[in-house]
Amino acid sequence: MTAGLEIGTRVVQDAPRSRRIPTKYLLASGVAGLVLLSLLRIVTGANDIDSGGIISAALIGAVPIGLAGLGGLWSERAGVVNIGLEGMMILGTWGAAWAGIKWGPWMGLVGGIVAGLVGAAIHALATIGFGVDHIVSGVALNVIAPGATSYLASRTFTGLQGGGPTQSPPLKQLPRFSVPGIEDPLTDLERKQWFLLSDVAGILRGLLTNLSVVTIIAILLVVATWWILWRTPFGLRLRSCGESPVAAETLGVNVYLYKVYGVLASGALAGLAGAFLAQVAANAYREGQTGGRGYIGLAAMIFGNWRPGGLAGGSLLFGYTDAARLRNAGSNIHALILLAAVLLVVIGLWQLLRRRRVVQGVIALVVGVGALLMYLLTDQVSSELAATTPYVVTLLVMALASQRLRMPAADGKIYRRGEGQ
Amino acid sequence: MRRALTMTVVATTLTLGLAACGSDSDTGSGGSGTGTGKGGGALKVGMAYDVGGRGDQSFNDSAAKGLDKAKSELGVSAKESEANTGEAESAREQRLQSLVDSGYTTIVAIGFAYAKSVGKVAKANPDVKFAIIDDASDDSKGDNVEQITFAEQEGSYLVGAAAALKTKTNHIGFVGGVQTPLIKKFEAGYLAGAKKVKPSIKIDSTYLTQLPDVSGFADPAKGKTAADGQFQAGADIVYHAAGGSGAGVFNAAKAAGANHWAIGVDSDQALTADPSVRSLILTSMVKNVNVGVYDFIKSVKDGSFKAGKREFALKDGGVGVATTGGHIDDIKTKLDPLREQIISGSIKVPTTP
Repeated sequence: MTAGLEIGTRVVQDAPRSRRIPTKYLLASGVAGLVLLSLLRIVTGANDIDSGGIISAALIGAVPIGLAGLGGLWSERAGVVNIGLEGMMILGTWGAAWAGIKWGPWMGLVGGIVAGLVGAAIHALATIGFGVDHIVSGVALNVIAPGATSYLASRTFTGLQGGGPTQSPPLKQLPRFSVPGIEDPLTDLERKQWFLLSDVAGILRGLLTNLSVVTIIAILLVVATWWILWRTPFGLRLRSCGESPVAAETLGVNVYLYKVYGVLASGALAGLAGAFLAQVAANAYREGQTGGRGYIGLAAMIFGNWRPGGLAGGSLLFGYTDAARLRNAGSNIHALILLAAVLLVVIGLWQLLRRRRVVQGVIALVVGVGALLMYLLTDQVSSELAATTPYVVTLLVMALASQRLRMPAADGKIYRRGEGQ
Repeated sequence: MRRALTMTVVATTLTLGLAACGSDSDTGSGGSGTGTGKGGGALKVGMAYDVGGRGDQSFNDSAAKGLDKAKSELGVSAKESEANTGEAESAREQRLQSLVDSGYTTIVAIGFAYAKSVGKVAKANPDVKFAIIDDASDDSKGDNVEQITFAEQEGSYLVGAAAALKTKTNHIGFVGGVQTPLIKKFEAGYLAGAKKVKPSIKIDSTYLTQLPDVSGFADPAKGKTAADGQFQAGADIVYHAAGGSGAGVFNAAKAAGANHWAIGVDSDQALTADPSVRSLILTSMVKNVNVGVYDFIKSVKDGSFKAGKREFALKDGGVGVATTGGHIDDIKTKLDPLREQIISGSIKVPTTP
């Protein structure tokens, strides 16, 4: 059970080792990124681009997307496509609010998870039990969940003080944590607007103070997912069901059971994402408050190449750009255009001169120069344009990184026991 | 490539699915209205609410208040039904038509989403009188339709002036839910009012989403992020025209600490919002949808109904400024002259920023 997993005639491997970037390069690029960000802040005067406030807002934006994406990862690694994440998340928002009002905020989290699990159980029954097409089942769930939630909400919240058919009363808050004694010095340092030092202070303040307990749980869940799926026999079996269920079956793995585990874990995580949205980010249930975050979570998972680290990065990128445009689109996004321009020109030159890829290089150069012109000729970015930033950035990163995405080989395929014979 | 194809299929099925959902559940909620009244020759009023319906503590509740007044004072009987999230155009048409079919001859449609359906159903039923709230476009025009709009820019002008008079940092903010012409009226009035009082004032404006994504009216998390950004950039008063996302703006004001305020919208939110934030609501721009609804029913009742556009402005009591909490009592003497100048027409408030 060690070097990869040889099943039947197909070899299923972990992500190729050769593509792993050494730690020292990661560190170096981290420092380079910081210096670049700091320079950008000083050149453009957009002091908000790495302030404690924006980092904290980015985290809050990233957590529901990341948890939903993590849910997608569990399901798809077990071979079941889960487009129903949005629906499970919607169920989670209601479950969290209802249980939270009845039994307190901690039970609210549990309520969100249970509501997500109910959605997942339907999806599991349909796709694994009855062999329904995964997309059809997921879409059905996305249609049923808002209707069911809307019905439940109007039955449970109408008549409560501050509640109504489309909203819950305000919810009690879960605890928040800060590393003690660092908030004031970091805030002071940040205000001085020194090169590099203030930037580090801002980022640390955003990451280490006023953190919701659910944010911490979410970060732990990313690590736990990696460990369980890639470092335990259980994870290996679960992933083998997503790569080649027939081969897994011949080795004695109960494929149905593992697929059910995957889908249920997926629902629990999506439900937790909904609970975070209602309890931490918004402080109340509100009809329609998920706003497509489940789909974005799914996109973050694909962006992250079906890996926990990648999807965490994708969620943070999305959370950050969304926070940047919501907080102060005019100056933040304007500053980020300069960053994009510089990066694109550098990448373009590198593609052209080092890798001899003429087409990619020229395209990157042209877009980069265009962005530079846009930066120089305008003072502000219109809000219509700014609203597209998270999507444009994601597209740009996907296009330029030109990473080879590889989904689990049997992802989305309907599996019946004994079909390999 | 296969995934791209799947995604397209998903998007299509999703749209179809939602459409189906809307029209299916319509028959249920359409029939669930309440029939009250004094019977006999009482005027029969059909109310078609926007998403949320009676009990939303905002827009629809204000309309319901107008209907309730008509019931008690004019003795009309009524049937109520409400829209579903993401429903299809046909569902709205069907809702209006079913009200007409069950004998309701005075129909009020709440919200601009009904524009096209009102236009169509009104044409098919020339003997029935219609009113639509918040739309004055050609879509809903007809010989038997009163198009009721409100001068939101005038009320917003006054709260803008109040914010400019109250700010200590010379920096205020505006959070709009969805960038539509309607919400731009709020922004335009607010900017104009604030600049009239303090020409040098700094004003941040943010919209949470762009059409066709209307989730910006129901996403408190985004509302909080946007308002947090404005408060942290130095603003001390933020006005929201963002429906349900406004709760996030109030939470941001609370998180920003002492001397940070929010301004509510549509109803007097110092009375309706979460109790823990009510004391931070400086004032609210009140939009009295009830006045429009009641006036329309009354006009049908006494035979003075007139089709066409009707705008309820500051002078008709259609919009106003709430004073709950007494936070703006000290600047009343400065706001009143502005109010009079708007009413007399010597100040013309713009409708686009």
